[in-house]
Amino acid sequence: MFSLDLFLNALAAGVLLGGFYAAVSLGIAVSFGLLDIANLAHPVFVMFGAYLVYTMNSRFGMDPILAGVLFTPLFFVLGALLYQLYYASFERKGAESLRGLVFFFGILFIVEVGLLLQFGVDYRLVEARYIGESLHLGPVGLPFRLLIPCVAGVSLTALLYLFLSRTFYGRAIQGVAQDAFALRLMGANPFKVKRLAFALASATASVAGALLIMIGPVEPAMNREYIGRAFAVTVLGGMGSIGGTLVAALMLGVAESLTATFYGPAWGVAVSFGVLLLALAVRPSGLFGR
Amino acid sequence: MASRLVIRDVDAGYGAVRVLHGVSLEVREGETVALLGTNGNGKSTLINCIMGIVRPDAGEITLERDGQRMELIGRAPEEIVHLGITLVPEGRRLFPKLTVEENLLLGAFRDGARRDIPRNLAFCFEAFPVLQSRRKQLAGNMSGGEQQMLAIGRALMAAPTILLVDEPSVGLAPVLVNRVIAKIKELKDRYRLTVLMAEQNFNQATKIADRGYIIVHGQIAFSGATAELREHELVKKYYLGV
Ligand SMILES: Nc1ncnc2c1ncn2[C@@H]1O[C@H](COP(=O)(O)OP(=O)(O)OP(=O)(O)O)[C@@H](O)[C@H]1O
Ligand SMILES: [Mg+2]
Repeated sequence: MFSLDLFLNALAAGVLLGGFYAAVSLGIAVSFGLLDIANLAHPVFVMFGAYLVYTMNSRFGMDPILAGVLFTPLFFVLGALLYQLYYASFERKGAESLRGLVFFFGILFIVEVGLLLQFGVDYRLVEARYIGESLHLGPVGLPFRLLIPCVAGVSLTALLYLFLSRTFYGRAIQGVAQDAFALRLMGANPFKVKRLAFALASATASVAGALLIMIGPVEPAMNREYIGRAFAVTVLGGMGSIGGTLVAALMLGVAESLTATFYGPAWGVAVSFGVLLLALAVRPSGLFGR
Repeated sequence: MASRLVIRDVDAGYGAVRVLHGVSLEVREGETVALLGTNGNGKSTLINCIMGIVRPDAGEITLERDGQRMELIGRAPEEIVHLGITLVPEGRRLFPKLTVEENLLLGAFRDGARRDIPRNLAFCFEAFPVLQSRRKQLAGNMSGGEQQMLAIGRALMAAPTILLVDEPSVGLAPVLVNRVIAKIKELKDRYRLTVLMAEQNFNQATKIADRGYIIVHGQIAFSGATAELREHELVKKYYLGV
């Protein structure tokens, strides 16, 4: 049954969810959208981040967002090492596309099994004073457990946008997949540029993980549903456009939330592919593709 | 800062195919030197040897600056760029999905260039006003001539002391060739920029060159001042069709 209140609440929840989806998708937008590296393992890094945050929260009562931010240097370094391995094993030999995909699937599998062994299949969650509270705007309730991830996700997106568009390394990251040779003629080393980009993309996983576990309880296999979402958002957003990624994430959040409210939550993930197929039929380069 | 580029007895090629045979060439401070030759004679190969893109099998390529000699062979292209040598490559090699302005700013990536961005950007816009009016346009959507201007502008953003240009006139209408050539001359006069320009278009190149080398089948067949080149037999035979 349709009611305006229900609709407005679903819409608001969708927008909030969308801000969080942006945070999860940034890593794919950079690695897949800008570097042409289909990093299937990014969502499992997000899970890994979520579990590290869980550990800090349950052991020391640390604030989840703070924990997520504290772990970014670790993820940055892990990302740099992973790219180095990927480069040495595949990219340098020009064998990246299909075998690269298998490589990242392997990483996904290893990390997921590692999380299973360490934490089991039980759902884990974090606690913080503000998580159960809500902000009320008339008939619309904005729960903090969604509002904070949205604000954090949008902030992270804005930071990455500023970095990519305002700094020399940011512009080099945007150019590297278009013409790595030309980039050398500008005095930049394409390998280092890509490694930096991949490391930054991975660093976002730790913050996204904190947001994920703040929204709801997690279990290791959950990364799978985010693979579809994040790739859908990246393609829809125009492959590497950061602004496009945010808009696409918001659209997906709203579409999912409305579908879940009016047709049932089982439709959730199917919606992401539905939105993707529909949008690509209309505009193959994505909504904001250059 | 007096700098001079000296190439001595360079052999180079691709795999088993030798393209350059004992090439020697020199570009002195403030000079514009033309490297003239028809298709496939090895102009780009020589330019690519200087930039560290192709590695010579023998010979020396040195940059002399303030009494210091630096061997360039064995250095990566990005290191050579940091020494102040930049290239406008064959085929332009712009970043097609970045805007005109983003392409220009990427040109200033090297440390030595970042300070002078406002000055160099102003020069680019003054030299090629179309770059200013199309600042926000994607480079890939520019016309061929506009792209060539952007490629030159991007190389200038690196504030080079030595500019290498591989066939600036290719694919350009005669009026644009004139303009590009005139701007290169202006750069040389204003900033004492040292230029090595590979060209097939003899008449255009000799308009601004101080000296020229003619490369035939990977060997320097003749070198001399521009006036001498115009008189020379080979030139008449290969370029003027006399
Ligand atoms: N990457 C490469 N691999 C193999 N052979 C090459 C390669 N690049 C150039 N050559 C060969 O080297 C020779 C010289 O080529 P180069 O590009 O230096 O000529 P060019 O004088 O610049 O000609 P153009 O005016 O057509 O640009 C040609 O015979 C060419 O086929
Ligand atoms: Mg050539």
